[in-house]
Amino acid sequence: MASADGGAYSYSLTVFSPSGKLVQIEHALAAVSQGTTSLGIKASNGIVIATEKKSPSILVDDSMLEKVAVVCPNIGIVYSGMGPDFRVLITKARKSAQAYWKMYGEYPPTRVLTQEVANVMQQATQSGGVRPYGVSLLVAGWDNHRGPTLYQVDPSGSFWAWKASAIGKNMVNAKTFLEKRYNDDISLEDAIHTALLTLKEGFEGQMTEKTIEIGVVTVPTPAELEAGHSGAATGRPKPTFRKLTEEEIRDYLAL
Amino acid sequence: MAATSVYSSPGFDFSNQLRNNFLTEKGLPLPKATSTGTTIVGCLFEDGIILGADTRATEGPIVADKNCEKIHYITESIRCCGAGTAADTEFVTNFISSNMEMLALTHGRKPRVVTAMTMLKQYLFRYQGHVGAALVLGGVDATGPNLFTIHPHGSTDKLPYVTMGSGSLAAMAVFESGWKANMSREDALQLVKDAISAGIFNDLGSGSNVDACIITANHTEMLRNVEMPNQRVQKEKTYVFRRGTTAWKKENIRDLIVSEDVTPVGTEAMDTS
Amino acid sequence: MSIMEYNGGSVIAMVGKDCVAIASDLRLGNQALGISSNFQKIFPVTDRIYLGLPGLATDVTTLRELFRYRVNMYTIKEERDIEPETFAHLVSSTLYERRFGPFFIEPVMAGMSKTPSGGYKPFIAATDLIGCLNFAKDFVVAGTASSKLYGVAEGLWEPDLEPEDLFETISQTMLNAVDRDAYSGWGVIVHVMTKDKVITRTLKGRMD
Repeated sequence: MASADGGAYSYSLTVFSPSGKLVQIEHALAAVSQGTTSLGIKASNGIVIATEKKSPSILVDDSMLEKVAVVCPNIGIVYSGMGPDFRVLITKARKSAQAYWKMYGEYPPTRVLTQEVANVMQQATQSGGVRPYGVSLLVAGWDNHRGPTLYQVDPSGSFWAWKASAIGKNMVNAKTFLEKRYNDDISLEDAIHTALLTLKEGFEGQMTEKTIEIGVVTVPTPAELEAGHSGAATGRPKPTFRKLTEEEIRDYLAL
Repeated sequence: MAATSVYSSPGFDFSNQLRNNFLTEKGLPLPKATSTGTTIVGCLFEDGIILGADTRATEGPIVADKNCEKIHYITESIRCCGAGTAADTEFVTNFISSNMEMLALTHGRKPRVVTAMTMLKQYLFRYQGHVGAALVLGGVDATGPNLFTIHPHGSTDKLPYVTMGSGSLAAMAVFESGWKANMSREDALQLVKDAISAGIFNDLGSGSNVDACIITANHTEMLRNVEMPNQRVQKEKTYVFRRGTTAWKKENIRDLIVSEDVTPVGTEAMDTS
Repeated sequence: MSIMEYNGGSVIAMVGKDCVAIASDLRLGNQALGISSNFQKIFPVTDRIYLGLPGLATDVTTLRELFRYRVNMYTIKEERDIEPETFAHLVSSTLYERRFGPFFIEPVMAGMSKTPSGGYKPFIAATDLIGCLNFAKDFVVAGTASSKLYGVAEGLWEPDLEPEDLFETISQTMLNAVDRDAYSGWGVIVHVMTKDKVITRTLKGRMD
């Protein structure tokens, strides 16, 4: 029985349908595209990741919601899809980053961390008794080797590097918008504004500092790099990923 | 978890124990690990905490490192001085620092000094003193300044001024005669410098320079080598050997620069359309 | 007798001006009995890192293979060569894993590390047998002749030696120290690394 909902191939075990599809993964992608829109833009001197923070009721205390998460001082992740799944992945990502730090005395490059998270997500498509993670991720980070990089990870565990991308409910429109707006030498400030404009397209309700979240990757200056290299006297090198405060977001929205 | 496939599994690996125990029974004792004989101190002052340490690491009677760092990073406003087996102090503080960062990320606020202290004592107690770390932990958090000592077996003390390591007696003598409640920053720093200096000059396990770290509610200042009373004087003569002094039998030079010449073959331009 | 004296051997590394040098003796013994006069204790890890492993010979081989495996895994995963600082941490954490059943090796490493501005900076480090790192600015030593090496190196080393002068200093330090150590000797090998080449020389030493 082949029906629109996947029929016999739509139960908990991820098995191929005769046409070569993993219907569970497609369902997971459907869960992602019901989630709020998130996007990331790589600029010439940094990266911005941003998301819409929608609460189901005005009674929810949305100051407690967190959709842009810091993994380690140089990497941050934003998601679209299922919040609880994201929380589990973030905990795993943070543990992986700390394990790397304990082994090599430095935090993982963005690509390595992304690969670790993608592996976790892939495993859920091939193990018994589990379902795929219902999230897509945008991983933004800076490292010595590749500089600022932006990756997207999907429920299947596949990942790609992007100059700009969008995931979630409004991803098709947002991507078209980004394609029109993007150029290779956009500055971080412009990228933040572009991110806000893109989010505004198809935003439900009022866009305020309470209803969006923004994270930025900054590129350290040569002086900061040199200081970090020789082991700064204060302890650790300056973080390259941080979340913008509500005040900062309000200032960007006012412009 | 996938991460453990490439990184080693957490915890220790005991697979060499059988062999090593056999060797010990044969009368071949385990070699000495680097230890930090050490003078480490900490004291409260009017707006925070000052930690101090010497910079000598020893391997038995040999000075293994003349300028090592014994004030370890836990968080931005918590630091920890380590005495005892050098590798243990290094790794146990790294481990706690890592845990504290995880804690800060999951709870979205700064973790407290008591949290670090509790994690350290539980870890050390679990290893029954075999992880040989004697620590002075200090920092400022939401509850104000906190100062602790942690012994290798896991016992802890909370005191306004503390010393540890082989030079602890010399340093404590200075503290006992000079410490007062609510000292100014300058006076407290001078007292810490004096306490460490007492260790450097009177204890064989301590030596070289003074490191200090001043932690206040919103700022941490790491004063690396704040005092250098044992600088080596410039040698009067150089002992550079005349080139060609050493006779050698064989020489091999490995060039690390790969030079390549590109010779274009054919004249037609590549189709790039 | 300590297990470190079972096979004998010593390694030293020194910093010069835009160069580093690492040297070891070539003896492999069975306590007082000499077995080999061509036992390598220094191994290239990447083009710009050399690792010396003085100590129990069986562990020299085991650790060489273990580090080869871990560095290869790193290179494949990260698609780049490991940097000396990162490698030093890898060595340290690998040894500390066996805190309660250690390898009888005191590694010494030397290399040139990339600076953010694209140049190269000399780097040396050593650890004890359970992985306590020592980043010295001048020289590091390990092995059965370590106490003698400390003394000679402390007297002969000076800052900013050119590669050829560093070669003479490290060679003379090694030769003279191992002459006073019964468990080290039987020839010396020296590697001097600059930003663009590695010069390896085998020295003439006493054979007694």
